[in-house]
Amino acid sequence: MSIFHLPDLGEGLAEAEIHEWYVKVGDEVKVDQPLVSVETAKALVDIPSPESGRIVKLYGQPGEFINTHAPLLEFSSDNNTNKNNVNKDKGSVVGQLEESDTILKAEENIEPIQSAKTSNIKVMPAVRVFANKHNINLATVKPTGTQGQITIEDVEKLIKPDNTPDNKEETLHGVRHFMAIEMARAHQEVVNVTLVDEADITSLPDKTDITVSLIQAIITGIKAEPVLNVWYDGKIKKRILHNAIHLGLAMDTAEGLFVPVLKNILNQSPKDLRTEINRLKKSVQLRTIAKEDLQGATFTLSNFGVFAGRYATVMVVPPAVGILGCGRIRECVRVHEGKIAIRRIMPLSLSFDHRVVTGGEASRFLAAMMAHLEGRDDGLS
Amino acid sequence: MAEITLVEAINQALAYEMQADPDVILLGEDIGKDGGVFRATVGLLEKFGEERVRDTPLAESMIAGLAIGMAMQGLKPVAEFQFMGFTYPALDQIINHAARMRNRTRGRLSCPLVFRAPFGCGIHAPEHHSESTEAIYAHIPGLRVVIPSSPQRAYGLLLSAIRDPDPVIFLEPARLYRWAKQEVPDDGKGLPLDRAFILQSGEDVTLISWGAMIKETLSAAQKLKKDGISVEIIDVATIKPLDKQTLLTSIEKTGRCIIIHEAARTGGVGEHISAELAEQALFFLKAPIIRLTGYDTIVPYAKLENYYLPKEQQIIDAVQRVLEFA
Repeated sequence: MSIFHLPDLGEGLAEAEIHEWYVKVGDEVKVDQPLVSVETAKALVDIPSPESGRIVKLYGQPGEFINTHAPLLEFSSDNNTNKNNVNKDKGSVVGQLEESDTILKAEENIEPIQSAKTSNIKVMPAVRVFANKHNINLATVKPTGTQGQITIEDVEKLIKPDNTPDNKEETLHGVRHFMAIEMARAHQEVVNVTLVDEADITSLPDKTDITVSLIQAIITGIKAEPVLNVWYDGKIKKRILHNAIHLGLAMDTAEGLFVPVLKNILNQSPKDLRTEINRLKKSVQLRTIAKEDLQGATFTLSNFGVFAGRYATVMVVPPAVGILGCGRIRECVRVHEGKIAIRRIMPLSLSFDHRVVTGGEASRFLAAMMAHLEGRDDGLS
Repeated sequence: MAEITLVEAINQALAYEMQADPDVILLGEDIGKDGGVFRATVGLLEKFGEERVRDTPLAESMIAGLAIGMAMQGLKPVAEFQFMGFTYPALDQIINHAARMRNRTRGRLSCPLVFRAPFGCGIHAPEHHSESTEAIYAHIPGLRVVIPSSPQRAYGLLLSAIRDPDPVIFLEPARLYRWAKQEVPDDGKGLPLDRAFILQSGEDVTLISWGAMIKETLSAAQKLKKDGISVEIIDVATIKPLDKQTLLTSIEKTGRCIIIHEAARTGGVGEHISAELAEQALFFLKAPIIRLTGYDTIVPYAKLENYYLPKEQQIIDAVQRVLEFA
């Protein structure tokens, strides 16, 4: 049983008049439910229930006065476990302290322990996200961070392997080294334009030495357009027109590109040319070629079509201004004298330095070569 | 041995140390005849007399100043403030004198005193009886701030606080004063200050709390256990100086951490702990460090008090949230 006393409704109010009961004996009320309205000197006030429970007694009827702190109503003790609640020391003059039957176990001293599960992978969240995005298992990443952490770069290495054991890294030496330098220089300096066409060489006899025929065709071309047989110095904008023709012959070797030079080819017989070509080939193979045999080309022939390749943007190497590339000779269907026929076709690629040579000059040079190869020239060479 | 409440454990510790050390003096408002606003000192006046259990006027600044003077002259005063909200008039004495007397006198004098105060809400008291402003004291160099959360820890930590040669702010969670009981042997054994207590070992997540919020933290862990989630619970106990090592070791193990305190969010001790862990346990974190705190408001009156306090369900939700991370 607990008695609810009329609380102090305001400073200095000694009593209040019951205006209206909202509840009656036997009612079940909830906490905060209005119980009664009372009239004080100041106002009409609703008094909420301090607890939930069943009401067993009301003190006073409407119109009667109740003193502050005097009993107002009484709750059943059914749900009130502590019958002495009213008189018991609540342990505080302010507020209410929660009490319970909770018994805490005696405390043991738990020492901090490190878990065996602890991951020793150190990685920032952003890197973790990056790794997840690329399906990289962090356990497989070798950390290189200053704190032993995995960095973005460490993860990137696994995405694009560039250091796999199979890859061999080596510095370029010898001919390859110079090829790298020379080609880069040529690429930077020369305005390399390539003109392509084909020659119908069906009329050439079967055992014709193609290389020698090409050399003779080049001589014809140079005769038609001597401006292709020139050295050009881009720094001082001067060109030297050569009277003699020294022809570089591009030769592919395992060590790299060699370009030995056939000197003074203008008046040499096909047989002499072949002899000289063979000598140079051999000395290149044997690595005995003399320095002088590699210098002084005024024009170059690259017979690249031995295995495959029709046309190529062959590269002019300064100070020369022209180079001819010959692709793979093959049989093709062509229109010949008004009829479809199978012809032997030689693809030609002429590169020239457009700083020095005009398109027209190059085109006339190529036309002269083709006429020679096709047996249409006047046999000047 | 009978089980006793937290407030009874406080009383037991005071009685033990007064018996053991005649230099221990109690002072405060209504601590003598009335036995204290929460009855923490009940019976001590009768036992030790008016010389050693002194009722003071309602003047907190004076209580603090008196205690500092006594301490500097070799006594070991334990002063009670009725509520944490009432300590503010004494802040000048505490910050400007108690906290720095050892430094000011180059070690010649010290302040071996304890300032006790109940703190926290949840007891339906008026608003300035409800706050948790422990961060104010934790911020002041020269002060230890100790908060027990069980009868055993209240007993052991208070004994150590009284024996400590420097000032200790001893904050008692009023909500837990009579909430639970525990066997507390009256053996005079102090518990170490400056050390966090692992209340439960676990693997998945670390719950860090102190004071009354330990209650919800423990019950949340109980429920999580049923879901197969292994929770480590740490009662920081001494929030200044902080036992970082225990916290770090735990985070390195679990990688997840939730800090629960009832104090307002901004500038709370949870911020400091979160920052320390972010700096030092960075590579071990599997999820953001979560803080569950009171709001940046004055603690509301009785009806909204429970809304203000972090709830068991919030702790459970936060645990689920951090478990969803890597």
